[in-house]
Amino acid sequence: MKRIYKVILTIFVFILLLGLCVNKDGSDNSYTIDSAEVVKNPDAVEINKTYPIPRTTTQNGIDYLQSQLPVGKFGGEFISSTIGEGPKTFNPFTSTDATSSAMSDIMYDGLFTSNPMTGEVIPKLAKSIEIKNNTKYIIHLRKGLKWSDGKPITADDVMFTWKDIIFAGLGNTSVRDSMLIDGKLPTIQKLDNYTVKFTISKPFAPFLRMLSAPIAPKHYFSADKNWAENFDRFLATNTNPKEIVTSGAFRLKEYVPAQRVVFERNPNYYVINTENKSLPYFDKLVYLIVGDINNQILKFEANELDEISLKGGDVARYKAKENSSNYVIYNLGADNGTMFLAINLNDRFNIEKGIKKYFVPKKKQKWFNDVNFRRAIDYAIDRKSMVQNIANGMATPLYTAESPNGIYYNKNLKGHERDLNKSKDFLRKSGFYWKQNRLYDKYGNLVEIDLYTNAGNTEREALGVMIKQDLADIGIKVNFKPVEFNSLINKITNSFDWDMVILGLTGTPVEPHNGINVWKSIGPLHIFNQRTSKNVGTILPWEKKIDELFDKGALKLSFNERKKYYDEYQKIVYEQTPIVYLYSPIRIYAIRRKIKNLYPSTLSGLTYNIEELYIDDSKGAK
Amino acid sequence: MKLYRYIFKRILQTIPLLFIVSILSFFIIRLSPVDPLAELRLNPSISKETLQKETVRLGLDKPIIVQYGLWAKSFIKGDLGVTSSGEKVSVKLAERIPNTLLLTLIVIFMTWSVGVPLGILGAIYNKSKLDRLLTILSSIGMAIPSFFFAILLLIFAVKTGWFPVGGLTSYNFSDLSFIGKIFDIAKHLVLPVTVLFTLSLAGLQRQMRANMLDVLDSDYIKFARAKGLSETKIILKHALRNAINPMITLLGFEFAGLLSGAALTEYVFQYPGLGRLILEAVMKSDINLVMASLMIGSIMLIIGNLLADILLIITDPRVRA
Repeated sequence: MKRIYKVILTIFVFILLLGLCVNKDGSDNSYTIDSAEVVKNPDAVEINKTYPIPRTTTQNGIDYLQSQLPVGKFGGEFISSTIGEGPKTFNPFTSTDATSSAMSDIMYDGLFTSNPMTGEVIPKLAKSIEIKNNTKYIIHLRKGLKWSDGKPITADDVMFTWKDIIFAGLGNTSVRDSMLIDGKLPTIQKLDNYTVKFTISKPFAPFLRMLSAPIAPKHYFSADKNWAENFDRFLATNTNPKEIVTSGAFRLKEYVPAQRVVFERNPNYYVINTENKSLPYFDKLVYLIVGDINNQILKFEANELDEISLKGGDVARYKAKENSSNYVIYNLGADNGTMFLAINLNDRFNIEKGIKKYFVPKKKQKWFNDVNFRRAIDYAIDRKSMVQNIANGMATPLYTAESPNGIYYNKNLKGHERDLNKSKDFLRKSGFYWKQNRLYDKYGNLVEIDLYTNAGNTEREALGVMIKQDLADIGIKVNFKPVEFNSLINKITNSFDWDMVILGLTGTPVEPHNGINVWKSIGPLHIFNQRTSKNVGTILPWEKKIDELFDKGALKLSFNERKKYYDEYQKIVYEQTPIVYLYSPIRIYAIRRKIKNLYPSTLSGLTYNIEELYIDDSKGAK
Repeated sequence: MKLYRYIFKRILQTIPLLFIVSILSFFIIRLSPVDPLAELRLNPSISKETLQKETVRLGLDKPIIVQYGLWAKSFIKGDLGVTSSGEKVSVKLAERIPNTLLLTLIVIFMTWSVGVPLGILGAIYNKSKLDRLLTILSSIGMAIPSFFFAILLLIFAVKTGWFPVGGLTSYNFSDLSFIGKIFDIAKHLVLPVTVLFTLSLAGLQRQMRANMLDVLDSDYIKFARAKGLSETKIILKHALRNAINPMITLLGFEFAGLLSGAALTEYVFQYPGLGRLILEAVMKSDINLVMASLMIGSIMLIIGNLLADILLIITDPRVRA
């Protein structure tokens, strides 16, 4: 018997130990309430610092770009991380995923880049630009620049990149496809060794920014006679790093699958500091490849990482310890992501053989095509609770089609609180009525809606539950159905048999024109009223108006003129609410205190000026 | 000669087996509602033409049976195809297999060189204090879920800073001296090896102890004792040789688990092995990669069993008859 007691005692002690562990973790939850305050707290925001952009300076016939930031110390390394499997290729022209693109962006500069504070287009590899008649773009390159292997960067490389790679349709053709103006591609012409001319058929505002695409080293590619056929194999992950020629601040040192990507400084980089020494300051830039967020957090806490993007409850925990720690927290504000609830306005008849019915049942079409009904839903949604409870306060309520960090964001659309009375007023206006707290339309049909999202995405599933409760308050019965991502995409892009759907998309904060896939009435991602080329049906007047605004916005080149058009499109979307915007996530980063020259930007993030960052871990430095 | 014919027959038997395994897994993966292109489809900056190109490249526009036929044809030729991101499957596997082998071989070596002697000790000193202690330890070892134990150890590593948090090498690995490299890898291996070692040690020790107890209880051992043989001789020469036979079968299974046995631990420790690769491939329905790993798994199991059988034939005269 004694033995049994001993065993029980052992088990008891073990359980007690486990309990302690669990309790310790559980206590973190008490912080989550504070997390919203962190966002509101202006101390966390240091975004107002203006970033002095580098200037061109010519020395010994070489057109350097000179950093205007304080001179730092050379040496050391910066260790960041990427979640997932790591890069699939280092080729900037074939990559389709974010990690691969980020890696190739480090190695290849484009002709232009965006000012991280204002979003305007500023020269990078290009020295200057002349624009004639809004259709001719004459680009002067910097003289005396070299690839990492010492070969000069010239107009031939630019010609090769645009003519032989992008316009020829090699790799990921997204840049090429978005450059088609009335079905015509721009033409490119070499004027001399350091000058090229692009000609477009009519003014097209997004064109200049598209020239930010990276420039490829011609001599590296064309060393192989069949380079075009073997294009996918260039800069593949198994390429010997020594062969890779780059123009960016760093060149590849090693890639160890599933472990890390290590970059070393490019000795020929053309950005210099005010003491005329060639940047970057860091000897090495390391990306550890981590499988998931939890591992990333552990690595940051073990000091194996220098920066981390914080999520949800972690923010408050980190904020509480910030003063006694070796990191600083930056709040970069809302990111480009938008979470929304789309309503299906499709009123077309399925003309395919065998299926003789409407995509959306006739009675539901009447509800969804009624702007009062859509606005009623908009007013019944409680965005504040969603931000609090689902995004842990790490988001900002959203009412417009452009995300709040975008430069074309319409600040006049202030949004509104949840207002059930107003919501019910809208419904009454269209003849809806209530019987035993259930909503009926004027023909006596009970209002019951199916709401879809992709199963497995816990955030969207939680949103679905909240929307269901919010709409129950105005008597709408919502059947919430999370389905597999694949079937969801099929519903949205193919069978169109859905009522409402919760989705998220990522936009571009600097170029609203990239939204044409969603907003043009025949766009391939015109989710809320998806048309096929065979079955266009009627185009609603306000859809026509948006089409027109996007066309006009692309023709004007000045920011102020364009802003008018994009403000108006946001206003129309706000008034018509075919998509009920819910929130945009907020980005919060923790980065080691020893990293200096940081100028956080809502548009470009935290480490966009990686070549100007340096380490100062002397004791006096704060 | 008989042995060779036996081996040949066994190998022939594996062909239909592999066929059935491959066709089952292929259809299960393809019929599962995971779209390898789903991410691209919802990306506003990906054009329809790019999507179309990808669909054709991955062969998704053909019926499943045709897809299977294409896969099987190239598999027989020894070509494992390309992953959904266009890299060669064989290259990807070759990158990871050495890492996984390093981990599993160390673990197997350690568990067998510690577990078998401990099992024998437990049997010889049956019901003594030592045996009870071993019983308690192995019960704990069997009871802890591997992922949980791994996470506990990771937290331990973070809090103390004595061990790196996952991975196999440090970021400055390529700059280290040869001795430094060995030391670096060893430091990274301590925690994952501890997890796998504790788990498999427990089972092995119990198994060996039970076998040994069975044998020690048998008539011929009693007879040997009665004959007055020394205890060492009885155990080493008579008991052990009989008790080890079932362990050989077990070794065959260990062989099968060489490449796939450590997947969960690998994932928690972010170990750059085969397990993590396959898990990520399954999530994304990367068919060629998943198929290759499943086929490797089945082939390893078959070879493992075959090896065990052959070893048994060699060690145990009773099987030969």
